[in-house]
Amino acid sequence: MATDNIIQQDDVVIKLDDVNKTYQGAVPLHVLKGINLEIRKGELVSIMGASGSGKSTLLNILGILDNYDSGEYFLDGTLIKNLSENKAAEYRNRMIGFVFQSFNLINYKDAVENVALPLFYQGVSRKKRNRLAMEQLERMGLADRAHHLPGEMSGGQKQRVAIARAMITNPSLILADEPTGALDSKTSHDVIEIFRELNKEEGKTIVIVTHDPGVAEQTDRLIRISDGLIVPADIPADGISKPQACVMPDGEILTPPDIV
Amino acid sequence: MTDLAREIMQTLSHNKLRTALTGIAVTWGIFMLIVLLSMARGVTNAFDYNMLSRNTAMIRIWAGKTSVPYNGNREGRYIEFDDKDLKAVPARNQKYVEAISSRVSGGGKLSTSKGEVSQSYSGVYPSESSRLNPGDLKQGRFINDRDMQEKAKVIVIPMYYAKQLFPPDGEGALGGRVNCNGLSMKVVGVYESRNRRDVYIPFTTARMLSSDQNKLDNLSIDLKNVSTEADGTAAEDGIRETLSSIHNFDSKDDNAIYVGNYFNNSLTGKAAMGILDTCVWVLGILTLLTGIVGISNIMFVTVRERTHEIGIRRAIGAKPRKILTQVIAESVSITVLFGYIGIVLGMMVTQLIAHFVDDGEMLRNPTVSLAIAFEVTLVLIVSGALAGLFPALKALKVKPVEALRDE
Repeated sequence: MATDNIIQQDDVVIKLDDVNKTYQGAVPLHVLKGINLEIRKGELVSIMGASGSGKSTLLNILGILDNYDSGEYFLDGTLIKNLSENKAAEYRNRMIGFVFQSFNLINYKDAVENVALPLFYQGVSRKKRNRLAMEQLERMGLADRAHHLPGEMSGGQKQRVAIARAMITNPSLILADEPTGALDSKTSHDVIEIFRELNKEEGKTIVIVTHDPGVAEQTDRLIRISDGLIVPADIPADGISKPQACVMPDGEILTPPDIV
Repeated sequence: MTDLAREIMQTLSHNKLRTALTGIAVTWGIFMLIVLLSMARGVTNAFDYNMLSRNTAMIRIWAGKTSVPYNGNREGRYIEFDDKDLKAVPARNQKYVEAISSRVSGGGKLSTSKGEVSQSYSGVYPSESSRLNPGDLKQGRFINDRDMQEKAKVIVIPMYYAKQLFPPDGEGALGGRVNCNGLSMKVVGVYESRNRRDVYIPFTTARMLSSDQNKLDNLSIDLKNVSTEADGTAAEDGIRETLSSIHNFDSKDDNAIYVGNYFNNSLTGKAAMGILDTCVWVLGILTLLTGIVGISNIMFVTVRERTHEIGIRRAIGAKPRKILTQVIAESVSITVLFGYIGIVLGMMVTQLIAHFVDDGEMLRNPTVSLAIAFEVTLVLIVSGALAGLFPALKALKVKPVEALRDE
């Protein structure tokens, strides 16, 4: 790999430099309008933004699930740009652990098999990956659920299985997309607590995308995105809980209670 | 490898009913292919047995009646072969004629002290034995060269007459004596054939019995240097030419002599069997195609249903090749598994048929060989891979981010 693809700051996990993304269509949609962002190793960060702010697109780019048009994205010092599907899959597998709102477990595989799946794609032997998966499940307090199918578990348990799966490859970055969106408040709190522990005890870099201010409050740093740009941190944070009224394409005006 | 097998087992057993329904189409296709192939094999075997196991490099000619005037002779004249032909045909057609033989027959009856049958005899060359099927000769031997030289008073009779001449079951026929047109003949062979009841004595011996010393029933000519149909036709034309000049008839007169060109017939037969074989493969594979399309269709549905799952797998790092391999391997697994059930069922049915109709005139040993089973397996693997290929390529087009959105 060429050396100019590597930046030398060891402690920067994510570095975005003027990243732009436009969705081509009948009316091209400029979603990200030059994002600059730096997240350091060991940070616990939340990203907030209204629907259509570009929040999901940013998450997809951070997770190497989508491409961007211009700018540069360095993940753990590696330039992530115009990757082949094979390279992208390899980087996702080794560098990123995903946690999704809808858990995204495979429903006919039990907890151990689900947790072990990323290692299957690294070619780790079945015995070894099941042992590692068991260790992760034990840490999540789910050892007794190891051979249950996702359908036999509660939402909180499923999300803990998903976190175990995200952790098993020891990734540089945990990306959580609305991890509490499908959970009640008590369970949400437990799940966020797990993220905090992973962050404090193991120094994991964790990025949580959420629209729940309660979740955002528990992170060390809040990044707000609005209309395709990062909102500078010196703007008061009370804007979070009070989104502005917006005009929908059909002319309807949504006032804050309608905006979810 | 075992991991892949485990993955496949898991996904296939995840939806057992669908897997089974898909599989039945393939089982049926392969079953039909096997049954059709073995039936064709049965017909070919019967043909080979009836035609090819005998000497086929041969032309046999019977005398007829002219149908066109020629060289001052009117039509309607009977042609008769005689000893001149036995010398002239080989002499003038040295390139193709290996040997010539003939037969004469005489009316009469056969009798012993215990029985009597009305049956004409055939005076034949030793080469006539090729007209019998291998194994037909149950006791003793056929007419041989020494019989010919010595004009021996020996006779070969069918079991049918042996039972009448040596009642009740033909016991003592071999070595017994039979009176034939006033000559006492020793039985040297007894044969049993489904479609033949000729009584054979040496050609030279028959000549002594015959009132008309020269007349021959037919000419049997063994050919050499023939490999293609053109060779067979050239040999036939040469012999026809020779005979027409000796007997003064138009060589294009098809009624003057009747030519049985066994060599060309066998080539045509072989070609026909080849065509039959090809037709059966085509038919069988078309039947199988229905099953393949079914599998392909189901794999498309499976891929569609599992879009979300494929998205998850890709998000956590499955490379495109892994997804491709898995879909194709699943397809091949279904095809091979259910195809093998079809092979086994097909084999069982053909064995059953073979058990009931074996050794018939039209059908003989209608079973498929191991080589064919191997070929069919190859067809299965290839078709399974093809059936899975397009769905797999579709699966690859699924972007992980789109797949994850698909709830």
